[in-house]
Amino acid sequence: MGKILMKGNEAIGEAAIRAGCLNYFAYPITPQSEVAEYLAKRMPEVGGVFLQGESEVAVGYMLFGAAGAGERVFTTSSSPGISLMSEAISYIAAAQLPVVFVNIIRGGPGLGGILPSQGDYFQATKGGGHGDYHLLVLAPASVQETAEMVMMAFPLAEKYRNPVMILGDGLIGQMMEPVEFPEQLRTAPSDKSGWATSGMATRGSRQRNLVKSLFLDPEALNNQNLLLKSKYDQMRREEVRYEAYNLDGDYRVLIVSYGTMSRVCRTAVDNLKAEGLEVGLLRPQTLFPFPLEAIRAAAGGPACQAVISIEMSMGQMVEDVERAVCGIRPVHWYGKCGGDVPTPEEVMDVVRGLLDGDR
Amino acid sequence: MQITLKGIVIIVGNYGSGKTEVAINLAAHRRRAGVSVRVADLDLVNPYFRTREARDSLARLGVEVVLPPARYLNADLPILDPAVAGLIRQPSELTILDAGGDDVGATVLSSLHHVLAEAEAQVLQVVNPLRPFTDTPAGCQRIRREIEAASRLKVTGLVGNANLIGDTEPAHVIEGYQFVRALSEESGLPLVFVTVPEPLAARCATEDWVCPVLPIRRQLVPPWLRAADLEAAD
Repeated sequence: MGKILMKGNEAIGEAAIRAGCLNYFAYPITPQSEVAEYLAKRMPEVGGVFLQGESEVAVGYMLFGAAGAGERVFTTSSSPGISLMSEAISYIAAAQLPVVFVNIIRGGPGLGGILPSQGDYFQATKGGGHGDYHLLVLAPASVQETAEMVMMAFPLAEKYRNPVMILGDGLIGQMMEPVEFPEQLRTAPSDKSGWATSGMATRGSRQRNLVKSLFLDPEALNNQNLLLKSKYDQMRREEVRYEAYNLDGDYRVLIVSYGTMSRVCRTAVDNLKAEGLEVGLLRPQTLFPFPLEAIRAAAGGPACQAVISIEMSMGQMVEDVERAVCGIRPVHWYGKCGGDVPTPEEVMDVVRGLLDGDR
Repeated sequence: MQITLKGIVIIVGNYGSGKTEVAINLAAHRRRAGVSVRVADLDLVNPYFRTREARDSLARLGVEVVLPPARYLNADLPILDPAVAGLIRQPSELTILDAGGDDVGATVLSSLHHVLAEAEAQVLQVVNPLRPFTDTPAGCQRIRREIEAASRLKVTGLVGNANLIGDTEPAHVIEGYQFVRALSEESGLPLVFVTVPEPLAARCATEDWVCPVLPIRRQLVPPWLRAADLEAAD
């Protein structure tokens, strides 16, 4: 199969099928409703199920039930819908269930607007729901990468028995780009017999499995949280992903940016290079775990004078960038969060401004 | 061979087939040829990448763009401007209605049935065989029947729009032309025109084609790319 032209939202649906996920539960919301529209057509063709829940709250627990029974399952939503699901996300993380979530972010807070935003960074990386849990958060920047990350998300969720979230702003869902899928993917599902409530062939034929998040005994709950923490620590060691752009030379400013915003920054880096100003770009592809060490190393570049986090949010990722840079360079923020994506020219002005008085 | 379309032209097609890019470029192309043109954005289902993105450059060319009132432009609501019915009753030399995708997007046309019935509109189905669900003639025919049922209109012609946006090669354009020609023969619908990305036009050998070519100057671009110049002479 060659390249085809797809919307990000359509590619998400197709990628899930290619990854062998035949259960999709969701509730429509702009700007991600095309996933449901696409899968309403495609799931019947492959023997899968799309079921629209009565709300995102219901969807959250439908996911819990299907994943608890050992099925590959996923959902897609946008910001307010993810807020509604957040209770279930906490329960799913606590019960150690592999579920894939996709959040195609719209403007917030509240009803906000329907245009692109990255305002759910904190929600995705720092919680959203209650308790000590983390999602593994993947942040694609193109339709092709969105498809690849969705296909990657299912085995990752099963490896860690933990929910994985794909975090894209509205443009990631809405823009059209060529995309190519592997002919045959369908990774074999992992062995879930040790924990899934998939039914016993005959009574007593195996140990009884229990999927739960309730631990009344304080020592048992502490042990449960230590177990979860050990998984998050393993993610921090093994799953950090990022892309470096123009970080080989003597860049004077380091931009940290992800998703759609990083595509704008990339154009700005190219344009500034043509003007003779070297700027580096580090694009986190995982937001949890965050590429702390890579950013600190890049910030320490010999000519680097300043670091800037450029986001479609009001200063969220910049907190992690500051944590990474640890004070060895000044850290700045630039962002917009109304729906208009900053242009390459705006980014170029901001970067030049950081060096004003020094040229 | 030149595009000579006049009257009321309704652009329909499956979701993401390129209706809006075709509508904008058709409007600009005809305007540059001296025809008076109006375009109405009837896409009530698509939140981003709509006709409104090109309204400034179209306005500078002298193309009138009918959009919902500015304060509702980014509302997640299906607002149909009453001015559209008036536009159909008193059309300019060329009046282009850019409908939304699939049968869902074409449903809006049904609500204009009372004015469209008398207007003798041409209904053009845009086809990109490099999109899901329209990669076979059967898929294109299925979506045509669904659009016809939802809009209460009959498709009167085809527009070939094979492309992979920035990754389009001449081979995609040429194979797309052959695809839509076969579809035209199978369906009995005339092939009204075929699009070619303007930068590829010289490499596509379109002289022997049975229909005219609409050069596409891409307008619906993401924020890190620049739209092509719509105003430069052909």
